[in-house]
Amino acid sequence: MAMTEQEKLDAKAEKLYYKKQAHQKKKIKMKPGDVLFEIVDHLFFLVFSFTCIFPFYYIFINTISDNTLVQKGLINFIPRGINISNYLALRNVNELGTAFIVSVSRTVIGTTLMVMASALVGYLVTKDEMWHRKFWYRALVITMYFNAGTIPIYMNMVMLGLTNNFLVYIIPAIVQPYNIILVKTYIESIPSELEESAFIDGASFMKVFRTIIWPLSRPILATIAIFGAVGHWNSFTDSLMYMQNAPELFTLQHRLYTYLNTASNLQSLMNTSGTAAASAMATVLNSKVIKYTISMVTIIPILIVYPFMQRYFEEGIMLGAVKG
Amino acid sequence: MEESLVKPQETEKRDFLSIVTRVLTLIAVFLLFIPGANPTKISGLISKNISLFTAGVSYSSLINGSERAIRMEWVNKSTYQMLYAMALLMLIGIALIGAGACMSLGNRKLKNMGSVFSVIGSAVAVAANLGIYPCYQQFCASERLEKVEPSFPAGFYIFLVMDIIILVLSLVVLIRQPKAEKGEKCAMEAKYRLFLMLLPFLMLAFVFCYLPLWGWRYAFFDYNSGETLSMDKFVGFKWFTYLFQNAATRRDIIQVMRNTLVMSGLNIATSWVPMFFAIFLNEIRSKKFRRFVQTVTTIPNFISWVLVYAIALAIFSTDGFINTFAMSMGWITEGTNYLMGNSFTWLKMLAWGMWKGVGWSAIIYIAGISGIDQQLYEAAIVDGAGRFQKMRYVTLPGLLPTYCVMLLMAVAGILSNGMDQYLVFSNATNSSTIRVLDLYVYQLGIVSGSIPLSTVVSMAKSIISVILLFSANGISKAIRGESIV
Repeated sequence: MAMTEQEKLDAKAEKLYYKKQAHQKKKIKMKPGDVLFEIVDHLFFLVFSFTCIFPFYYIFINTISDNTLVQKGLINFIPRGINISNYLALRNVNELGTAFIVSVSRTVIGTTLMVMASALVGYLVTKDEMWHRKFWYRALVITMYFNAGTIPIYMNMVMLGLTNNFLVYIIPAIVQPYNIILVKTYIESIPSELEESAFIDGASFMKVFRTIIWPLSRPILATIAIFGAVGHWNSFTDSLMYMQNAPELFTLQHRLYTYLNTASNLQSLMNTSGTAAASAMATVLNSKVIKYTISMVTIIPILIVYPFMQRYFEEGIMLGAVKG
Repeated sequence: MEESLVKPQETEKRDFLSIVTRVLTLIAVFLLFIPGANPTKISGLISKNISLFTAGVSYSSLINGSERAIRMEWVNKSTYQMLYAMALLMLIGIALIGAGACMSLGNRKLKNMGSVFSVIGSAVAVAANLGIYPCYQQFCASERLEKVEPSFPAGFYIFLVMDIIILVLSLVVLIRQPKAEKGEKCAMEAKYRLFLMLLPFLMLAFVFCYLPLWGWRYAFFDYNSGETLSMDKFVGFKWFTYLFQNAATRRDIIQVMRNTLVMSGLNIATSWVPMFFAIFLNEIRSKKFRRFVQTVTTIPNFISWVLVYAIALAIFSTDGFINTFAMSMGWITEGTNYLMGNSFTWLKMLAWGMWKGVGWSAIIYIAGISGIDQQLYEAAIVDGAGRFQKMRYVTLPGLLPTYCVMLLMAVAGILSNGMDQYLVFSNATNSSTIRVLDLYVYQLGIVSGSIPLSTVVSMAKSIISVILLFSANGISKAIRGESIV
């Protein structure tokens, strides 16, 4: 016999009541040891969270505060004399603009191509009809587990004429076996009837890919796009190794690295002549603040996309759980 | 009866010819991108870093470096233009050959068309190839030979021979191949269509993942940057023994291996931390607080090591937060730079690695905890288990399989610490304790230019890493019955 509406509601209320009671009981029953544990546990995570945010906050308030106060080391927790002149001053730092453009374009172009390639390859390798599918798929996947080593890879790039060439940021990163596996696994979970009916209607592989597979696998493509973009934005060693004679192609991270290592005098980077009054003090001052400001500019894009990334974390850390 | 015996043989023969053509085509397409096989490098003025593809696509990179020669009229501009035209024609020819080879996988109609493409393409390529010779002669006729340095490229013969072979083979195929019936449409079996779609990506993977193995040959030669390899520089295993016989490199290797193993060892010894991070985070009842902690502690994972270093400078350097704060409170009078110095480098690096990675690594365990059956907890409560007993007897066993996988992966990657972290944190005072294998290889090969020696180290590292990975996989299979790769 079906329950009436009223009975259902009653049952719900009863359940809620018991839940509440159980909860209260638990609270009352807490022993001193439990209280101590709770406090320590909360405290630990609070402190750790603090260490994770505070540096960003510290750098940020130093970039927007009065530079003389920053120099005296008085800006520790609260910004004072707020202004954005440091960010405006970045316009005068040589080559920063170029580096920014290089980083942005490699991120956009590289990520787009990588996602499109991963989607297409991920789709193709699900097709059993393919000539020697298993062999080619294994040949792709196996590259995840070994590499020839830093120097042979470097010499390969030299041989291909890719050193001091913007394309070295893009082309080698197009085929990413790990992303291909993620996409393949995802596509395999899409009901095959969708595809089959399209094939019966006479659609080609490309048509099925464009109209069915691509739209349906958007969540996984968003995941790999975001992780790919962060990887491109953060990558630093490729710029360091392959751009030795092409400083105009340094990425932002590489520029930042060189600035951080420039011993105290960043004034030389500024192409304004109006800084004649720069005393030794002012030099140090500017170097510190400008380092902070450039760091902030490099972090901000990450912090902007970060809230959008969070929902993709779990897919992103599937490494180890996936099978070839 | 006789017919049926002969016929398969014939098709087999024909197929054999097309297979040879396809393989040659593939090689020709690869050689397009190899600067060493560039047939247009007929003079010292032309950069040795450009491939035939670059030469045929971009005129500016072809004449890059020759502007002066053109201005001074050592070489005519028209010669360069002709050279460029020939390179472009060769590219077009080889593209046609490639298209033909792809079409040869189709039905009879497509096969016929493919052979026509190959014949036309290879004829064009041969003609253009021969057209490079007059350009070479004009270079040789220059008044300033010592500036122009004409040199006859090996690529000229390589491409010429290949193109001629392809021309002959595809002609034979074209003649002997049965003609398509009237009204037959172009078609190709799905298996080949799919393969051809995958082919460009396979080629990319080959070029960037398999081709570097060819770079292992540098380990066996006396090579200096910028030279070309020749057999008279072959030295066999000299660099392998040199690595251990030379006192300086032996000392380096021992130091580097010590740093690598200690840092990886510390990472492995603390690999349980993310798991406990997740377990203790799970004990917090407020969902909002949990969410907040998770959000905040994951941020460091998404910034680069360069930025971590920027943060380290902001906090720990002489004018960083710690010093200025302590000074403003009057606790100290003089700042110390905590990033300098050789003491506790390993622990510092471990701490930075933990700060950056622990929140992120915990996510997999947090996901694991939410996957544990709630009934297990209820049963434990019924049995009178307290908080710690639940952790010990329910949560921990539920997470152990994941932990084992992570641990085995960490063991397999014991030689690969990555170089970013150690590069950015290295300075004059701590180089002896911070230099790990990856950083050493970079400094040895790219900074100081000892390509052969660093190739030896790279090679050894790659081989040992693969062996470690498969051993870890074998252990995992034996113990858990599941593979990790």
